Amino acid sequence: MRQRLLITLRDTDGALQRLLGTAERRGFRICAVHAELVESAQSQVAITVESARDVALLARQLLRLHEVCDVCVA
Amino acid sequence: MDNAGTPGAAVRSGAQWLVSALEAEGVDTIFGYPGGAIMPVYDALVDSRLRHILVRHEQGAALAADGYARASGRIGVCMATSGPGATNLLTGIANAFMDSVPMLAITGQVSSALMGTDAFQEVDIFGMSLPVVKHSFIVRCAADVAATVHEACAIACSGRPGPVLIDLPKDVQLARAAAAPWRSREASAVHAAGAVNLDAAISLMSRSARPLLYVGGGVGIARAETALRDFVAATAVPVVCTLKGLGALDPDQPEFMGMLGMHGSPAANHAVQSCDLLIVLGARFDDRATGKLETFAPGARVLHIDADAAEIGKLRGADVALGGPLEHMLQLLAQHSPVATEDWRAHCASLRSLYANRYDAPGDDVYAPALLRDLSRAAGPGSIVACDVGQHQMWVAQHWRINACSRHLTSGGLGTMGYGLPAALGAQLACPEAHVICVSGDGSIMMNLQELATARRYGIPVKIVLLDNGCLGMVRQWQELFFEQRYSEVDLSDNPDFVALAAAFGIEAFAIERRADVSAAIDRLLAAKGPILCHVRIDPRANVWPLVPPGKSNGEMMDSAA
Repeated sequence: MRQRLLITLRDTDGALQRLLGTAERRGFRICAVHAELVESAQSQVAITVESARDVALLARQLLRLHEVCDVCVA
Repeated sequence: MDNAGTPGAAVRSGAQWLVSALEAEGVDTIFGYPGGAIMPVYDALVDSRLRHILVRHEQGAALAADGYARASGRIGVCMATSGPGATNLLTGIANAFMDSVPMLAITGQVSSALMGTDAFQEVDIFGMSLPVVKHSFIVRCAADVAATVHEACAIACSGRPGPVLIDLPKDVQLARAAAAPWRSREASAVHAAGAVNLDAAISLMSRSARPLLYVGGGVGIARAETALRDFVAATAVPVVCTLKGLGALDPDQPEFMGMLGMHGSPAANHAVQSCDLLIVLGARFDDRATGKLETFAPGARVLHIDADAAEIGKLRGADVALGGPLEHMLQLLAQHSPVATEDWRAHCASLRSLYANRYDAPGDDVYAPALLRDLSRAAGPGSIVACDVGQHQMWVAQHWRINACSRHLTSGGLGTMGYGLPAALGAQLACPEAHVICVSGDGSIMMNLQELATARRYGIPVKIVLLDNGCLGMVRQWQELFFEQRYSEVDLSDNPDFVALAAAFGIEAFAIERRADVSAAIDRLLAAKGPILCHVRIDPRANVWPLVPPGKSNGEMMDSAA
């Protein structure tokens, strides 16, 4: 099942890499990514993922990342 | 802690800012190994009050920092140069990540202008370590070094602890600057349990006839042992522990059922299988604990309490979940929870009695479980045991009298052979008054044997018990039981003479082979003033029992090869 997540990210070294790596390692296939620097220090990232696993669990795991400010399941 | 608004702030090199920031964080010991890209920091150490322990391999530095952190409850710090120095830290960083140990790993990096050019000893340690750190930084200018150290320490120690990496290019170490303003983050607010969930939790407990606490490493990490013991005293709910949860409850407390899981006690596993409410406390349904997940605690509803919300529902759904500090949750629940029924308590007591450990193995050769039981009794409740990985690790879990999580150092998540000796060194430096005992095997000890030189150099009085069965015992056991005795690459019968080897490092050492020698050996170990190694020859055919076969339910334990 495909789901879309909207993530607000602090723009730090490796932030996007860490985000996408976490999603993949936790068993979510990344189907689409859109990332955009919206302020000098923040990015908005939209990812579409596919997995048999509960996307809410991925959202909680992403929220543990230090640079993630907010996660919203669209 | 902050320096915001400090007038006339000093100008220092990045390396000096690193050292002074560590001092300001209360760090007293660093485990490390110098090299080209970290030389400015080593130069700054000369003028510092920080104690640097020169290990003989960077993996030893990371694992010693891990042992220091677990035993002391303070952050462990390790340091290495770029390239191979950094990659050698990785196993220890991953070990800390898997077991949620607060650690700061500092790596030198080639100068900023050379990064990305395949320079000598350049690796992307930041990228390589991403999956095994809680967070990581590359510091781009000297002014940011102190602030980064303070932020890194706060991240490593807050919430669910973990390792944080700081990669520090050499030019940043050398550059001089005033420190940018920094302010330590406020401690996380205590999350009050939602009233609805608390009510639901109490309702679950009130309706349960057979409640059971499943206690994991989160209790020790949260320093919630006292709250747990108070909760158990108030409710008499029986308790099973994971490998990392051992010590959360006093093993003499009548509610303690032992370790659950693959090499758990039958009493614990049977209690799990027959409970109707599983109160999961700082545990994560690890496969070594649950066996076949679908058949784990089949009749139980689940009340999951964890500081890390991401653990709730990861592998098994919770009927009720409470997220937040464990100590607070336990205190709230203890005020309202009913006492476990007499029938259930009597049932659990009968299981404990029926499956009590036995130490009457036939023969004259050393029986490792009995040796470990006797040594732990003799060493006393304040002693610390650090084990390696393999059969001896499980024997320690089963037979050592562990009465505090911080006194049982074991590589639970990563299962790192070679952990025991450096972890013991770190623990001994953190707790100089304690008996620190490293229980190792002939496979594991060889993975970080070079740290005997560290023990010798600093006179670190660890007591090493080397259980030598001349093979990779756990792998051999599995090949015997599950691979039709097709033994593949497990023979270590050509081991070196460990007593002579230890002596070559300047370490006192002796060997025993007979059961009758155990008592005197324990006396000698505990009386030693410096590091000492006792080489113990054990039966190569000895197995760890009981055992839940892979893919089986915890109710299907084997207690022999027959």
